Amino acid sequence: MNTNNKIKKYIPVILIIPIVVIRGFTTIYPIVITFINSLYNIKVLSGIHEFIGFKNYIDVFKDDKIISSIKFTVIFVVVSMLFHVLLGTVLALILNMKFRGRRFLRTIVLIPWAMPAVVIGMAAKWGFNNDYGLINDLIRRFVPDFQFNWLINTGSARGAVISMDLWKDLPFFAILILSGLQFISEDVYEAAKVDGANSVQIFFKITLPLIIKNILTLCIPFTLWRLTSFDLVYAMTSGGPGEDTSLIAYRIAMESFTNLNIGYASTLAIMLFVLMALFSWVNIRFMNKYND
Amino acid sequence: MKKKIAKIMLGTMFLTGILSGCGGNAKESSGSDNSGNKYDLTLYSINTTDADFGDWLKNVEDATGLKINVIAAPTDSDTRQQKITTILSTGDSSVDILEINDEMSASFKNSGWLDGLNDTVMTEDIRGEFAKGYLDQMITDKQGNIIGVPGYAGYLAFWVNQKILDEAGIDKLDTKEDFKKYMLAVSKDGRYGYGGSWEKTYVFNEIAQFVNMFGGDYFDWTRPENKEAIQFLYDMVQNKQTPIDQIADKYEQMNPKANDGKYGCWFMWGLGTDYEKAGMLGQDKIHMAMVPSMTDDGKRAIFTDSWSYVLNTASKNKDAAIKFLKYMASEGGMEASYKAFDRYPARKDVAEKVVPDTDPAKEMYSRYASECNVQGRPMLPQTMEFITDMGTIYQSCMKGEISVDEFCKKAQELVNKYK
Repeated sequence: MNTNNKIKKYIPVILIIPIVVIRGFTTIYPIVITFINSLYNIKVLSGIHEFIGFKNYIDVFKDDKIISSIKFTVIFVVVSMLFHVLLGTVLALILNMKFRGRRFLRTIVLIPWAMPAVVIGMAAKWGFNNDYGLINDLIRRFVPDFQFNWLINTGSARGAVISMDLWKDLPFFAILILSGLQFISEDVYEAAKVDGANSVQIFFKITLPLIIKNILTLCIPFTLWRLTSFDLVYAMTSGGPGEDTSLIAYRIAMESFTNLNIGYASTLAIMLFVLMALFSWVNIRFMNKYND
Repeated sequence: MKKKIAKIMLGTMFLTGILSGCGGNAKESSGSDNSGNKYDLTLYSINTTDADFGDWLKNVEDATGLKINVIAAPTDSDTRQQKITTILSTGDSSVDILEINDEMSASFKNSGWLDGLNDTVMTEDIRGEFAKGYLDQMITDKQGNIIGVPGYAGYLAFWVNQKILDEAGIDKLDTKEDFKKYMLAVSKDGRYGYGGSWEKTYVFNEIAQFVNMFGGDYFDWTRPENKEAIQFLYDMVQNKQTPIDQIADKYEQMNPKANDGKYGCWFMWGLGTDYEKAGMLGQDKIHMAMVPSMTDDGKRAIFTDSWSYVLNTASKNKDAAIKFLKYMASEGGMEASYKAFDRYPARKDVAEKVVPDTDPAKEMYSRYASECNVQGRPMLPQTMEFITDMGTIYQSCMKGEISVDEFCKKAQELVNKYK
């Protein structure tokens, strides 16, 4: 092997070193440090820093605040994703229809998605207020004596958070499905109509099978975003009433940045990381099987 | 040859990019800001949104000869606390002086993140002019170091709506019986005798205030006075004398309701800027009043608070920072804050000189100081965690999810856990 060939052999290695170094610093190193921290009881404000092994991992399941956060996170992710898929598909179908102003509608539906979640959260805090909120103001136009504060009861507060999450991200989900719909040739629909298929049959036999992979692919990042969602709750309810709308990512932020319980927050972060990795793996496996 | 040069150039550019990226934030605070302006120290301020902030800054710069770089603290309380905690806990030297509230002070004073100021700023000659109870309880660490300069003296004042008082035909709220009568007389048609902000972190003030008024001890929930206070609040909710809706409210939601005449009385910090802006401040509208006595012995209790200027231990501009702090502890500094931000001077001698007799706060504040048991709020090192947990069980209690007895039991468990 001459010198030139030797150099050529090492060029790919040299070229990927920067990426490996950057990834190492920005991803691998934080994960390793977070895992190490999770084995310690680190309470910065009390000056505690002691090795406790996996005690934090056991304590998580005895902590009422965390149990409540896990419960709401599961509800939030499942309900929100369910509505994302159902309403997102319906909205995409509407946006795929031919009517005047379609382009305008496609543009304006994306406005909520373009707004920062913190801004939406702060606006929603007022929007759902019994005395000054636009939601109750609207309802009172039909039911004059209507009195209800959405953010003080567990169910309604959770519903309000989920509805704001949908209001923000659903249009984006729909637009992405719409991109899949636009790949379906008009000829296929025409052929189905000639064969006597009605609209429902066309949807279930042609449209849905052709966009299902698209939907499943979208479900991965959208579910992961829901699992790490923090800003909406932070601005809208601060996890209240009590801890009822405290998502797990919000709890991690509170434990780490407000309470400075770094060890405990690291434990929660590692558990969330494992859950997200697991979910992504299952989803990819499912999609591969579907492809086969 | 050209290829080699190109490779070297690319390599250099890449390395420069990485190094500049990594070291981008390592600049020292003394130097220049993004516009290239030189400054002597950096102040992390909560007052930048005030219309008079520019005048105040000019006054301070002229008086001290310092060029001050100001960083605006977030207006949201949680975000602000997180940012300040991060700056101090990581030894970030890019900020020299910060303004911290009592919650942060309770958390940070023994952490070693703040410099003691006994020998430099809070010297013995001026120390006696500040409220001793406040200095001792809130901003003195275990070693006896005073870690801050109180920016003002504030009270969790009792506010009443005079129009509603007149309408109810009640001329004073002096005792528990007066208070109960008032609740009964005015709570109807969407109006409540008492209003508050019971969001889980904000409600701490009112729980502690009522416990104090009933003669209890916030750190001892076995005492009957504590239970009596919580029962009193619970009964007010049940009798619709105070709304359960307020468990979602912070001050920004409570104050508009007060301005709209939805509440007969409430507790609130400050000199009533929000009421003044709404044209509702005045002896015939909304004004401060003496705290009612809820005990048979006629004792009254009130909390005092402040935001204190503190010196970051990691600061590299300590001389300039101490010069700034000395000015803030002086008559000139306190007068500037009073004029710009309506901050009542923390020093008694300065308040006497600077605040005109026409200021209604002056009379009320001096009455609070002389007629009430003035205390700092009861806080523990894990401040926000303790406050949030107490707020959470309080909300459950007020919603009827747990009984008052269960609340007291859980509250004592929390005290034991965090104390």
